[in-house]
Amino acid sequence: MNFSEEICLPYLRAAQNPDGGWGFRSGAQSRVEPTAWALIALQQAFSAQVVSADSGASERGLRYLADSQLVDGSWPSAHGQGKGAWVTSLACWAFLSADENRAALGRGLDWLAAERPGDSGGWFRFLRGFGGSKKVSGQNDALWGWSWTSGTASWVEPTSYALLVLRAAPKDLVPASAASRLKLAEEMLFDRMCPGGGWNCGNPMVYGVAGEPQVSTTVWALLALREHAERTEIQQSLAWLEKNWSSIQSPASLALAQIGLNAFERSNPSFTATIERLYAPDAIAWTVPVAAWSALAASGSKIWSQSARAEAKN
Amino acid sequence: MPRPSPSLLPPFSRPESRVAIRRIANYEADLAAVLFETLTEFDLPVRGKTILLKPNLVGLDPLGMMNTHPAVIAAARESFLRLGAAQVLVGDGPAMDRDTQAVLESIRLREFAGPLSRLFVDLNIDDLERVLLKTQASRLRELYFPKTVRGVDFLVSMPKLKTHHWAGVTLSLKNMFGVIPGSCYGWPKNILHWAGIDRAILDINAAVRPDFAIVDGIIGMEGNGPIQGVSKAAGVLIAGDDPVAVDSTSARLMGLAPEKINHIARAATLLGHIDTAKIRQLGESIESTRTPFAVLDAFSHLRQAAA
Repeated sequence: MNFSEEICLPYLRAAQNPDGGWGFRSGAQSRVEPTAWALIALQQAFSAQVVSADSGASERGLRYLADSQLVDGSWPSAHGQGKGAWVTSLACWAFLSADENRAALGRGLDWLAAERPGDSGGWFRFLRGFGGSKKVSGQNDALWGWSWTSGTASWVEPTSYALLVLRAAPKDLVPASAASRLKLAEEMLFDRMCPGGGWNCGNPMVYGVAGEPQVSTTVWALLALREHAERTEIQQSLAWLEKNWSSIQSPASLALAQIGLNAFERSNPSFTATIERLYAPDAIAWTVPVAAWSALAASGSKIWSQSARAEAKN
Repeated sequence: MPRPSPSLLPPFSRPESRVAIRRIANYEADLAAVLFETLTEFDLPVRGKTILLKPNLVGLDPLGMMNTHPAVIAAARESFLRLGAAQVLVGDGPAMDRDTQAVLESIRLREFAGPLSRLFVDLNIDDLERVLLKTQASRLRELYFPKTVRGVDFLVSMPKLKTHHWAGVTLSLKNMFGVIPGSCYGWPKNILHWAGIDRAILDINAAVRPDFAIVDGIIGMEGNGPIQGVSKAAGVLIAGDDPVAVDSTSARLMGLAPEKINHIARAATLLGHIDTAKIRQLGESIESTRTPFAVLDAFSHLRQAAA
């Protein structure tokens, strides 16, 4: 069975809403995040023939994203929200994948470069030190990246998304101010790694107890730090991911694990057989993002490390 | 105890609350029989209604330490169906891991409750409804809620009996954090922490108003909860028609003073009873089931003074 073209592609095609967007499931409200994942998969996970056949769907999806962009260049995580969120990175990624609408992409990247999390200020660090929070987590508060929502703390997943898209975007669209932030954010990710390798949402240690890594956040951090493949932390985290492969029980984590391993040329050969075994069409886990990740994992796409189109342009 | 904000007045008015404590040795006991008997005693208006059970599913939990036990969830579902409910759904939005199926597989919910596709709602990715918060106890002016939560007839909070390293305890009120969708606010739902945990708990509970609470206290967690604490067998289920009263009773059972736990005390100004004089105790007494839970040093002030 060609899992990607026989299962993922028909699901993604059928789940697109009349407004051009995708919800998390077929028939659900259109949202920026699932729309971005569906578009990235349609552009990157299938043959040129399929991409061409689905160009209308992609155009409608990109139009939905363009119409959802806020005046300040960001995208909201839910329709009607007045403030941008982490999904801005994913929407930018979708435009980057399609090599479309440089204006919308540029405004999104400008917002990302300027957006500072709530833990980036000196006042926050002073209060943390004064209030004893440092004792709770032991993390380095001088390091920060990106938050889920405006004005809150830095976390592993949104920081990884921002790093990935800012690194992959055409250099002429990335504000110069982003360079120092990228370095700081990378250091933040290394600081938040769980002892022994892998990442959770961003709490490697609480009251002296080590946090447990998770598959999805480990994959995003690995992809964002891919340029540091030689570092011990990366090798430890890859080893953690490979060691835990056999205990993965859901298509979402399995697909993400394979995407992470693909990026380091360490793909697991049992991926296709395992995802076919875990897949169930009526499972609660079978959503638009999971179908997109599964297709991307099966394709071995390298969008995660570097945009081929962006490289070609530069 | 916090004073009610004038903007939140007039204060609530409700009749005496009822809370039942049932002694249960372990998860192999006939939980469905005990819960059915308990729920029958409350004479709940659930016939023909759609019920949503909201357990506390935090993350991967192969050892069964941090999440509401699937046997309790399944027993509650069976009991509400026996009471005539038209449909009993189970829903949560895990806060620390966006792979909800992995969390469900880790606790083996399917084995206890049956196929998940017709049963479980992933509240993290449900369709949304924007709600303007009337209480505005925290800095939040609005929140997006899952449509399922807003649409059901009867909402049941089903936490595990645990201490919490930010909120002191996590019981039926704090459990409602899980209805806030991660797809809107992230994993974790950090906006609630920045808005003030204790006040956000009040805002959320005032917006969704759980109708009933069932606390899994058969095995709880003490110390550095809600994830990294230590298992603590308390051997009880605690159920009641007022989440504030259920949490107050649960805290007392844990050897803690609910009046000193900010979010419970705050909720008691608006949503339910904290005063034992206004809580009718059913089943076992608090005294006979009291099981002191260890707390982090930062929360040692919550301990109840010895009688």
